[in-house]
Amino acid sequence: MDERKNMPSERRAESEAIERLLRETEAVRSEIREAAASVDWEALPGLIADRAMAADRERRRAEAAPGRAAWLSALWMRPVLAGLAAGLVVGAAVMYFALRAPGGRAGRDEAYHASGEFLDRAELEMARRNAVDYLEKSQYVLLDVFESPEEGPVVPAAVRSERARSLLQKKQYLNSQLERFQMAKAKAICDQIEMLFRELAQLEGDLPAAELGRIRDYVEERQLLLKINLVKKELQSGV
Amino acid sequence: MRKIAWTICFALVLGLGAASARDNPQAATADSLFREAKLLVFDKDWRAALDKINELVDRFPSSPLAGQALFYKGECLSGLGGRERDALRAYKSYIQLDDAKPSLVEESEGAIVDLAFDLFEEGSDPALRDIVSRLEHPNKVVRYYAAYKLSLVSDKKEAAKAAPVLSRIVVTEKDPELLDRARIALLRVSPESLKSAEDRKPRTVTTARMLRIRVRDGSKREPSFSLNIPFALADLALGALDEDDKAAIRKKGYDINKIMNELVKSKESILRIAGDDGSIIEIWID
Repeated sequence: MDERKNMPSERRAESEAIERLLRETEAVRSEIREAAASVDWEALPGLIADRAMAADRERRRAEAAPGRAAWLSALWMRPVLAGLAAGLVVGAAVMYFALRAPGGRAGRDEAYHASGEFLDRAELEMARRNAVDYLEKSQYVLLDVFESPEEGPVVPAAVRSERARSLLQKKQYLNSQLERFQMAKAKAICDQIEMLFRELAQLEGDLPAAELGRIRDYVEERQLLLKINLVKKELQSGV
Repeated sequence: MRKIAWTICFALVLGLGAASARDNPQAATADSLFREAKLLVFDKDWRAALDKINELVDRFPSSPLAGQALFYKGECLSGLGGRERDALRAYKSYIQLDDAKPSLVEESEGAIVDLAFDLFEEGSDPALRDIVSRLEHPNKVVRYYAAYKLSLVSDKKEAAKAAPVLSRIVVTEKDPELLDRARIALLRVSPESLKSAEDRKPRTVTTARMLRIRVRDGSKREPSFSLNIPFALADLALGALDEDDKAAIRKKGYDINKIMNELVKSKESILRIAGDDGSIIEIWID
């Protein structure tokens, strides 16, 4: 201490600083010793690894955060851009829900269903089409039987009889429909033709030329082919 | 005068047994009565026709025509109205005959089904047996018609008995007319049976299964009209759309056939048509 008193003032200050440092170092050393005594050195490597990985995750999160924050902040700062983005999202959602096939919304809509009213309309439409078809086919049969009395029918008797029978079967279904939908004119002409087909269906052999001529006269006098055409046209135009 | 002329004319037309009639005066009379009766049936003069038939049966009970006349008796009684039960008996007697003609037997069976249907709808429950028993008939023409007619009875529980036969028609039948009838009948009585029958049919890659139509009024979420039907009925369904809806489609310049072609090509896409009244028509298939 005496020596220090004799020192020049600069060196004295330096000596005091070193002395203070040594004192503090000694204090730290004792703390280190205390801390070292409390450390579980066997578990320490695992603990270090865990903390290191946690630190890495934190770092990555920290790296991502500024970008998102910047994006939000950019929108926050630009209402027009925010509105545009929101519009795009909402618009896309609306387009998705509006333009995809409605049936895809849920599995519950896979069953067939139709109202009774619709089925009636469908049957009426079917009656109209089937009546037209019946009248057309009837025309072909009648034309074959009646148009060439000299040569006789082109179609063999068995085929003609089968066709007449098939038309009678169709007529059975038509009866129900034409009555239900009050298609009186169509029913009347179909009934008239039915009688002829009933006769044709029962004939197994060829008709003699004289009989053919008489039937042809009958059809002409009754103007059956003309009536068929008129009713057919009416049905086709949906009258 | 005109009617008499027609009667004479048609009597000549139907005079197919004239040669044999000349050899036997009694047969000629039976023949002429039969022809006259048929002519009267043709003119729907049921009362007069029935009188001729009764005369034929009374005077010539052993004539083969007396048996055949039973069918026409059924026609007359059925046409007269109020005599359904008698008509039913006449047809049933005819189909029991050994020499009954197959085409007339088929017609008689159909007539029995029709008469039974009318009687059931008028409150005679036992009449339904005549239809139900024909669901097992060996002749498919009779079987199919019985099923079709049964599907129309107002008692839904009874109508549902037609479903198995109708389903078989959908699965096995080729005739498009019969198929469509069976489909509509099944939609009426058992839509789930139709779905199951359609699913059993082999499906090609390009064949769509279902046509869906919705009509929405304005902004309402629930459709005012909703339809899911087999695609095979699509053409019929579009033809049967309400006239206002059809007008809206036409007004927008759409052609129904084009619509269907486009929808088939772009499977599962949807066509939306906005009507002037604010309604929206949606049509799509899958």
